[in-house]
Amino acid sequence: MCTTIIISNTLRLYLTCIRNTLDAAMCLQNFPCQEVERHNKPEVELKTSSELLLNPVLICRNEAEKCLIETSINSLRISLKVKQADELENILTKKFLRFLSMRAEAFQVLRRKPVQGYDISFLVTNYHCEEMQKHKLIDFIVQFMEASIFPNPIKLHDIDKEISELKMSVNTRGRLVATEFLKQFM
Amino acid sequence: MACLERASPALKRILLKLYRENKSIEIDHHLYEFGSVEYHIQSSTSDAHYTYLSVSTPLLSQGVILPNGISHYTKQMVKGICPDVVEIMEPAKEGYQITLRLVLSKIPNGKDSMKVIADISAVQAVILSSQLKEMLMNVSSQDTFQGMYKTIKLVYHPREPFFIVRQPQKILAVFPIRFKDKTDVIIATAFFQELMDVGSSEKWAKAPPCCWSPIPPPELRGEPFEDLSTNGGFVSFDISSSHVKGKRLDKTVWSLLNFYAYVKYHVKSTRSFIQRRMRKRLQRLVEVLHKRSMQEEEKEEEEEGNHKVQGCMFMRKRINVSKPKVLKRRYNDLRGKIKRIRSRIKIQGFGRFRRRWLKMPKFSSSMRYTKLD
Repeated sequence: MCTTIIISNTLRLYLTCIRNTLDAAMCLQNFPCQEVERHNKPEVELKTSSELLLNPVLICRNEAEKCLIETSINSLRISLKVKQADELENILTKKFLRFLSMRAEAFQVLRRKPVQGYDISFLVTNYHCEEMQKHKLIDFIVQFMEASIFPNPIKLHDIDKEISELKMSVNTRGRLVATEFLKQFM
Repeated sequence: MACLERASPALKRILLKLYRENKSIEIDHHLYEFGSVEYHIQSSTSDAHYTYLSVSTPLLSQGVILPNGISHYTKQMVKGICPDVVEIMEPAKEGYQITLRLVLSKIPNGKDSMKVIADISAVQAVILSSQLKEMLMNVSSQDTFQGMYKTIKLVYHPREPFFIVRQPQKILAVFPIRFKDKTDVIIATAFFQELMDVGSSEKWAKAPPCCWSPIPPPELRGEPFEDLSTNGGFVSFDISSSHVKGKRLDKTVWSLLNFYAYVKYHVKSTRSFIQRRMRKRLQRLVEVLHKRSMQEEEKEEEEEGNHKVQGCMFMRKRINVSKPKVLKRRYNDLRGKIKRIRSRIKIQGFGRFRRRWLKMPKFSSSMRYTKLD
């Protein structure tokens, strides 16, 4: 019980830090490309002019869990690294995040390919901020990591929870199949 | 790789059909299972009493192909399925290991008939099991060297050999596990760990103890390197004399023969389970996003004006349609119908005929002028 509280507290701090950083970083405006005429691209991706980029912020909970927030004048890139305790969690995480990335059009702000060294990336542009509400966008991203801490209508976006559930199911299936196999000898 | 079910379902169905038809029917079927097992079933009206079943299957071998095909012991076991009904033909049909002549009219009536047909359909399983049984029996008499028993490598599928080590008190069956995909290896490893856990519990004390290890067991020392290089480790079962007594021998042999198939089936179904679950999750995520946006839209609409009629979405749409609109739509429908009735009948090629034969002569008018260049 005690350990759970400690873990949730550290997670709370981690998520609060991400939330506050996102809140500060998400002040985007429309800004056309300085190099190419009639081009309007996310500067955080192209990185054409250094004066349009802000210092990236790296928030680490531990070595396995971290979040990189890169900000520019018209776009924001958030990259997450999800914890993978063992090999099974590793393949489940990869599979699940790849599955989501391949269907990125359903989420609008999800990047098809994560930034190198991270498991999943989001790209928020000024257009997204204009179309959607800022606080809900932040909620959505934070929900991807953990849902239970902050009260929010969407309770399904937590990767950690989903992966641990998947792992449990795979192990339970394995146990049932093993039992059935051993039954044959009886 | 053997199959999980002993009886071939397709063969069983055909045999049942032949048995239920009192008169003989013309049948000449080739059935293929698992890419390597082939059945040829023949029945003709000219030879009404007999049905011929030929079976071709990869044989369990100790690395070398047996020159005579199926051994005498295996033939005896096949004959023992139902001696009145099954007769082995000599020589077997070309391209097949064994040909059976079946007298289906001799199958006893009632419930036993189903059992006999199921047993005949499981002929391939009988061949495989009896081969392993024979090898296990022979190992005690032949392969001892200075009190040590030699390890025998059994090959059913070239990529899936397994080892049997006969020891004074027990038999050790070792399965090297190989998978092409890393995901498969991890799922299989998780399964083996569960198998070890379950097998070590008191409830399953009577089942053979199972052990998984990433390195080969010491009993396999001296075996070729290519047989010992795996990515999924080694699973070994300690089979004691109690596991091979009476009817349990058959069960044990069949379980060992099926172990690879079992693991592969589990891995495949687990992969599909993960995929299914992820798809469901995505659906729910999208649904939630959808619901949210719909709720927001509804709220906005409500804020704009609360004059709309409450109720079902579709009903609301109906109520919103005004009477003049309905009348206009009906009028348009009627007009369309009339147009369709009054439209000219089109005949293929009539246009060309009319241009050629029913052409009206052109009259030059005094009012017409020509353009001057």
